[in-house]
Amino acid sequence: MGIYSYGEITGIIIFFIGTYGVVARRNIVKTIISFGVMESGAILFFLSNGNASLAPILEDTAVATGVADPIPQALMITAIVIGVGITAVALTMFINLYHKYGTTNWEKAKEARKQ
Amino acid sequence: MTAVYLLILIPILVGIIEYFLPKGYKTIFTLLGQTAQFAMVIYVYIVFKGADTLIPLGGWTAPVGIMLHVDSISMVLTLLTSFLFLCFIIFNIYDEYSDKHFYMLYMILQGLLIGIFLVDDLFSIFVLVEVSTMVVSMLIMHKRDSRAIYDGLIYLLINTFSMVFFLFGLAMLYKQIGSFSITYISEAMKNVTNLSALYLPYALIITSVCLKSAIMPLFSWLPKAHGTPSAPSTVSAVLSGLYVKGGIYLYIRISTMFSAIDMSEFFLVCGFLTAIIGFIFAISQRDIKLILSYHTVSQLGLILLAINMKSEFATIGGVYHIINHAVFKSVLFLCAGLIADEYKTRNIYEIRGVFKRMPIVSIVCVCAILGITGAPLFNGSISKYFIASGSQNDVTQWLLGIINFGTILSFIKFSTIFAKDKSGHEYKKPRYSISRNAVLLTLALLCLLGGIFGTHIIELLFGVKKTLSASYFDKSLVYVATLIFALLVYFTGLTKTKPFVKIREMDLGFNNIAIFIPIFMCVVLVYLVFV
Repeated sequence: MGIYSYGEITGIIIFFIGTYGVVARRNIVKTIISFGVMESGAILFFLSNGNASLAPILEDTAVATGVADPIPQALMITAIVIGVGITAVALTMFINLYHKYGTTNWEKAKEARKQ
Repeated sequence: MTAVYLLILIPILVGIIEYFLPKGYKTIFTLLGQTAQFAMVIYVYIVFKGADTLIPLGGWTAPVGIMLHVDSISMVLTLLTSFLFLCFIIFNIYDEYSDKHFYMLYMILQGLLIGIFLVDDLFSIFVLVEVSTMVVSMLIMHKRDSRAIYDGLIYLLINTFSMVFFLFGLAMLYKQIGSFSITYISEAMKNVTNLSALYLPYALIITSVCLKSAIMPLFSWLPKAHGTPSAPSTVSAVLSGLYVKGGIYLYIRISTMFSAIDMSEFFLVCGFLTAIIGFIFAISQRDIKLILSYHTVSQLGLILLAINMKSEFATIGGVYHIINHAVFKSVLFLCAGLIADEYKTRNIYEIRGVFKRMPIVSIVCVCAILGITGAPLFNGSISKYFIASGSQNDVTQWLLGIINFGTILSFIKFSTIFAKDKSGHEYKKPRYSISRNAVLLTLALLCLLGGIFGTHIIELLFGVKKTLSASYFDKSLVYVATLIFALLVYFTGLTKTKPFVKIREMDLGFNNIAIFIPIFMCVVLVYLVFV
């Protein structure tokens, strides 16, 4: 498939589905879910580019052929953990907002804030 | 070898240890820790003297390992961050909301911010920015006011939305270059043959950086976060004074990293529009904190304009303006917080007679206003002079003149709080602790010193020597003329007319703010491909 592998193309598609979710959905919970979707897309893209030009940690380049690049894998664990943290904070804030305003809709929350 | 990483580690450790200490020792421990950190920053600054140094962490260098990058700009910003945090902590000592949670988040934010300034690794920047976004949103809603929760949620979600774009851009960049180190990438950028492969990663990364630095269509989240009613004034001061500067700093780093892609004309226009729209919003507001936070948007536009002028003097003026803006905007936010607490309102038309009621606060406030509008002898005039000297072009000079006119106009509106109180309410003069007054007066003095010794300070910090020529004094005349013109315009009652009321009532919801991010990315992409 040209310059992108199947995994990367799937990653791109998932990323933009998530973007659509954030931009178009009015429901706060769906917005938070869409973030998860977007982040999964980015992570999938990261992990799929296995044929990066450098396979670092191994200094012996002869052994390094056929070895997947370990850096994206190590970093994506961090990205996943951060994603979990963000989701947790966002949901906590959402619960607080829901108790105060009693709505899951962005527009209604905006109206309620004005008062 | 000096342990530069300690600059990032100390504040975070101080914040965490403070959380577990018994009640009486918390404040004093935080203060001592912060003082130690400030001393350490000064020591590191003297050791490196602005030399461009890369310090590997964990024994690996680029392209694999993570490195710290110490140069003149990053060290100056670190020094500024540490100093202002010291001031804010002293300012806050006796305040009721500074409990253990607040101090912990505050100190961690400082560590993360210094990390953003020092680290040379794009993925670490992603991590630091994400975590600091979380910390900031918790600080915004620290008092659990319902409006603050809405603002905090919008802030958190919009910023993480843009940071996912950053992450995706990193993935594409890594596929092309195979490293995250900024210095390594900027070296590798020279050998890239197929430049169009970099367009998409560039567009994704620069979009999120532009959102962080609140550039034209992407600024709607900033006034909400910085001017939210219940956020403590020291939090607003940190956000407006320092945290958005992280975005501008990243913009400088990223645009020098993508040296092969030149978008400076596009961002010059963006910066100008940001400055104009920022002050138009600022003069239509009624809320003193919102005036200040929209005004931050306008000044960020000015800084962006300066950085993209492709002149050494303008860039240095821009960086010096970052420092100056951090000083006077923090002063203004602290004063606005005190005034709003004293009058129990934030409506600018109801606050009158501040000069009689709070003399010290007013003097400090006036110093900061003179600084921000670029009055002669104050620090704003020096940075604006440097920015203006970056271009011989008449059009740019006019544009800078218009921006300064807007700044003065918005601060004339702000200054109406000093007018005489005609309502005749009874009041008691508020008393503030010596430490609080000392912090305010120190910062106000810095506004003045930064002006009088401006050229020396620039020489000391950036190693560039430029003496003020006669045109600096011409600028003073221009300032007075602009001031008179702005006064005339203000007293025609322009800011109360219908269009401005409409602008004031404009309030974008989450989806409307969010849709600008993909649109901005597409515009950047189209510009790159076709222009």
